[in-house]
Amino acid sequence: MALRGQSSSVPLKISIVCLTLAISCGTLFSLATGGRTDVGLADIFRPEGMARTVLFDIRMPRTCAAALLGVNLGMAGLVLQAITRNPLASPAILGINQGAALGLALGVVLPNTIDLPLDLYALTGALTAGVVTFAISGGFGGKIDSLRLVLGGVAVGAFSYAMVRFTYTLDDDIARSVIRWTVGDITDIRWSETKRLAVWAVPGFLASLVMAQRFNLMALGQASARGLGADPRITLLLGTIVAAALAGASVTVAGPIAFAGLIVPHLAKFLFGGDHRVLTPTTALLGAALMLFADGLSKTLTAPIEAPIGVVAALMGAPWFLWHTIFARDVS
Amino acid sequence: MRHASSTRLIWTLLGLTFAAIAVFLWSLSAGAVHIPIATIINTLFDLDGPKQSFIINKSRLPRSLLAFCTGGSLALSGAIVQALLRNPLASPKIIGINSGAALGVLLTFILAPTLNLNWLPVVAACGGILAAAAIFTVAEIATVSPARLALVGIAIGMTCDAAVDFILATSELYEVSAPLVWMTGSLWNRGWAHLNAVWPLLVGLSAITLLYSYRLDLIRLGTAQATSLGLNVRRERLVLLALATLLAALSVSVVGVLGFVGLMAPHIARQMVGGTHRGLLPVAMLVGAILVVVADAAGRALFAPLEVSAGILTAMFGAPFFVFLLLSNTSEARG
Amino acid sequence: MKRNIFAVFGLCAALATTPLSAGEITHEAGTTDVPDDVQRIVVLEFSFIDALASVGVAPVGIADDNKRDRVIPAYTDIIGDEWISVGTRKTPSLEVIASLAPDLIIADKTRHSAAYDTLSEIAPTIVLDSLGGDYHDSVAQMAVIGEAIGKKDEMDARITQHKATMDAYVSQLKPLSEGLSAQFGVTNATGLWLHAPVSYNGSLLEMFGFDSTMKPADGDVYEKVYVPTTLEQLSEVNPDILIFGAYANPSQVDSWKGETLFEDLTAVKSEKVFNVTAHNWSRLRGMLAAEMTAADIVEIMKQ
Repeated sequence: MALRGQSSSVPLKISIVCLTLAISCGTLFSLATGGRTDVGLADIFRPEGMARTVLFDIRMPRTCAAALLGVNLGMAGLVLQAITRNPLASPAILGINQGAALGLALGVVLPNTIDLPLDLYALTGALTAGVVTFAISGGFGGKIDSLRLVLGGVAVGAFSYAMVRFTYTLDDDIARSVIRWTVGDITDIRWSETKRLAVWAVPGFLASLVMAQRFNLMALGQASARGLGADPRITLLLGTIVAAALAGASVTVAGPIAFAGLIVPHLAKFLFGGDHRVLTPTTALLGAALMLFADGLSKTLTAPIEAPIGVVAALMGAPWFLWHTIFARDVS
Repeated sequence: MRHASSTRLIWTLLGLTFAAIAVFLWSLSAGAVHIPIATIINTLFDLDGPKQSFIINKSRLPRSLLAFCTGGSLALSGAIVQALLRNPLASPKIIGINSGAALGVLLTFILAPTLNLNWLPVVAACGGILAAAAIFTVAEIATVSPARLALVGIAIGMTCDAAVDFILATSELYEVSAPLVWMTGSLWNRGWAHLNAVWPLLVGLSAITLLYSYRLDLIRLGTAQATSLGLNVRRERLVLLALATLLAALSVSVVGVLGFVGLMAPHIARQMVGGTHRGLLPVAMLVGAILVVVADAAGRALFAPLEVSAGILTAMFGAPFFVFLLLSNTSEARG
Repeated sequence: MKRNIFAVFGLCAALATTPLSAGEITHEAGTTDVPDDVQRIVVLEFSFIDALASVGVAPVGIADDNKRDRVIPAYTDIIGDEWISVGTRKTPSLEVIASLAPDLIIADKTRHSAAYDTLSEIAPTIVLDSLGGDYHDSVAQMAVIGEAIGKKDEMDARITQHKATMDAYVSQLKPLSEGLSAQFGVTNATGLWLHAPVSYNGSLLEMFGFDSTMKPADGDVYEKVYVPTTLEQLSEVNPDILIFGAYANPSQVDSWKGETLFEDLTAVKSEKVFNVTAHNWSRLRGMLAAEMTAADIVEIMKQ
């Protein structure tokens, strides 16, 4: 894996071509697929009618939402990896996704006792899980050990999932709801949800861009960063806020989606090197491309029944994660 | 790292044994149906008078015995994995057993829906052992560090989990309701047949593990020291991994995904008698057994006639306690 | 192997010591000897209550998910409310079942096959495919239950009467349903699941002469019983009549109201969208349940 300052082994032109191709193909794939096979890309040019409604009211908001989710998750992963200086940091590994799932499950099971929006349950769950993982891996004591962080995340994630699975023993109807909520599902996204994602993605992106140089210094080590005038504690605090906001926004709209936050920054580093000023926009675009493909696959893989985008993303990301843990040099 | 004196160890073991016996007896009286002590005694010793032969002899007794065996085995397995990875946050889940077993069970349901449900434990054990075997292979071929081994295990576990979620999200729920119950770590509908199938193996493997306690101490010192003391670290590591895998996979196959025992029990034991495995292993075993017996009995009694899975209760009450232990004694936890 | 030997021994012992046996009942998990004059029955699925209520027999234990109101008044009017809850249908409490000392247990194939051996140790157990079967299967199961509880004649009479009732409904509905398609679906807070033609409700609608437009694009029929459906897919299914049972308020379908694609559905435009009680349509199966469903459909067709 490329380190900061190192440029990528892949020529820039090829990288840019790859990225552009991936984005365009992904967009077309995601737009062209859906519940109706009689509606295709050609219908974009129709002035009105059912096909146009399907494309503009159903598929386009969903495609945009998939892309924005990729942006949010990729950036959240990039920022988390920069501030923890840990290439494995990402919401799924740190138990944050599973915490969000637990929050959602509680929200579904206890709707009558506490009447709060499900989003709030998800955010509370995610936040609690993140803090607990951080705490039991010794993060508040100062030094964060990479392996401890991951093992802590696995323990928190396992606990959350044990509780989520409790709902599976209740009514099939409740179990169905919980599974829908906790696997990352965007089948019923409309423009209003897409807007909510965009509202978080844009400032999150700008903030990461502004802080890119700070992240670069962070990679040099805390002491060097301080020597160069960037207090790492401030970077850590700001970075945590940005990552939490980005990951939180996607969890509340789509539920937890695993692995996108982990693999996208690694791919970006592979293609474009380690400079965060370049990495920030390219990670965003790569994230979008990945999730567009995942969305297209989610609609076609088990057609006519949809597979939620979250599990498709997980199936795409998990083997890569496995390959990475076996062969990459920077993980232990 | 504290090293407990022999007297302390003996007292702890004695205390825990008494606690285990007490908990076991209590578990026979706890359940959805209230049975007077006199009736329990009548039934157990086949005396004259009112009896509840199905509930005591065929339901509670085998369930509690099974909980005892599997709880102890999971705890031992966890202690081994923690020693091998030199990390108190490791657990049998790290070697992919829970996820592999879950995937095996669900895949079987999708690919062979007509298979008799009695095969579920066999399939689960195979899935768990296969996942662990994949990790072994990596460890053997690449001779990786313990940290890398842990990450590979986590990655294989997560890959299996992703597939499990995929199957759950795209299949008809009522068809997989039996595996779903199993996935929560439940002893519902477990009886003598299940107990008889696993207890000889579990007891045998546990005995071997206890004999290995000295080598575990050496391995915990680190590869260099262990080698200088005349240990073939590579071989011993494989043997110990195999022991941990079999103990956990066999347990998971009959009681389902009881995730937290292997993580918590060794940790609680370490707080009681320190990190020397001669004492740690038996203490962890008793702690694990007590945990699961209590969880199972409480699960059938708490909200009767509803059954709450033992796996959920161990997680719900064990996890906060575990976090408290870790936070209150971080230097110990770093051991 | 061992179990088989024991089974043989058990069978011999049973043959030698219990001359009372009413006969062998063949079911999904094999053959079971059921004693004469069954008094105490435990049922583990709702459709079995329907069967017992049809001939006026009250079960002593019901897997009612520990929610007594899931056994609707149509049943409690007949069976009373003396039954003991044995817990959820997924994991009924074996202890409670044993404590009821039943002499017959009726279990479901999908949920309870794994527990068949244990249940058989408590009492003679028959296993029927309630969850996976359609309407015609459920009526066939009624006959098996009638035989098992020693009320074959009453049950056969009730089935004949039920078939007559349903035939009357069919002849009443057939002229009205001519050339119309109807679709039933269950909706909760997160989605809509259409019940395919192979499902219980799908087979009922088919019997009443309704067409199904529920076909995926490649022309096959759905193999699945309950099909998760998006608004886009619903617009393709687009039946003349839509019947929803909602488990949540507001439901997923409610959130679609106002969208162009939803408002353009044939059923929505012609105001042929109807709400029924999800529990009665989706969880209950059997003769009483089918007659209630038929009455609902007649009510719907009047509008």
